[in-house]
Amino acid sequence: MSAPSLAAALAAHGVDARVDARAALAVLTVPNADAAERLRDADVRRAVIALAAQHGFTTVALELASATDDRAALSGH
Amino acid sequence: MEPVLTEAARADVATAASSSPDSPRPSTTAREKEQRLVAWLAARRSVILGFSGGVDSAYLACAALEALGPARVLGVIGRSPSYPDAQWDAARTLAAQFGIPVLEVNTHEMLDPRYVANPSNRCYFCKTELWSVLRVVADERGFDTIVDGTNADDMHDWRPGLQAAREHEVESPLADLGFTKDEIRALSRARGLPTWSQPSSPCLSSRLPYGSAVTIERLRQVERAEAALRALGVDGDLRVRHHGDLARVELSADRLEAWLAAPNLRALTGAVRGAGFARVAVDLKGFRSGSLTVLGAAGV
Repeated sequence: MSAPSLAAALAAHGVDARVDARAALAVLTVPNADAAERLRDADVRRAVIALAAQHGFTTVALELASATDDRAALSGH
Repeated sequence: MEPVLTEAARADVATAASSSPDSPRPSTTAREKEQRLVAWLAARRSVILGFSGGVDSAYLACAALEALGPARVLGVIGRSPSYPDAQWDAARTLAAQFGIPVLEVNTHEMLDPRYVANPSNRCYFCKTELWSVLRVVADERGFDTIVDGTNADDMHDWRPGLQAAREHEVESPLADLGFTKDEIRALSRARGLPTWSQPSSPCLSSRLPYGSAVTIERLRQVERAEAALRALGVDGDLRVRHHGDLARVELSADRLEAWLAAPNLRALTGAVRGAGFARVAVDLKGFRSGSLTVLGAAGV
């Protein structure tokens, strides 16, 4: 399982998110709720889940960064 | 700040909710199974059943009432910290509405370190405690048969609690007579039971990954988070999975599009943070039973 390589693969598909690996759970953190809108599309979600599976993750969840999160960390994945 | 949904967001969620399919009328096969169930129950002298107020036990209790009458039926509510208070309120209300005699007893599985350690067979220790308590009540009050609401679909799942039921000679007529969950829902609807469309509601400990200790604090965190989401308008299946500082929210798959809309996602996140989680993430597959089993003990 590789969080950085999943983040890169997601970015190539137009989904910019920090990836936090917790065993087989991948937590995708996006900076704000507007950035999550793309994931409303079921096809996009399926593609993200498939990409995550290719990188060894069985479970994928989407998180909004909190207001106090370091935005630099988001852009530095 | 209290999370709230905008008018547009409410409309979004309401549209998603209205797409739920209705349960069909009971099939002839289901009706025949029900006749066999009532005959099976009528052949007992009396029955005592584990009563949670959920879909299966509510239906079984009503069938037992029809077969035996209220003097020979007792539903026992096993009160445990691993169930939300709202569930007991609902169970009491349902029992009062349908004339089901009930007794509330406390169970003490939280005092068993084997349960608290949260192994993959955790349910075995919980059910061992529950059925031990029911056995005492049955013996004291002269009830000859203990039954539970296990159905035929349950037999295909990982359910270590079934072993405890066998060890305590608990009968499972719904499973033995081949009742599926869909049949029970359809038959419940035909009887006017409000539980027919109720989502399954396993105990709160099922929200903790195996190996993550079951504590009162964690159970209450999950309870508060799920209650906050219900208050926000989340309906259908819902699980808040506890991953330490992170809550992973599983919603019905057909509600995901609505809840991932920006204002809804902000409100959802705020509601769960308010329940005491530092981080909140929405599962992109949506609800599925046993998702923590896939993650195993490493999902903490």
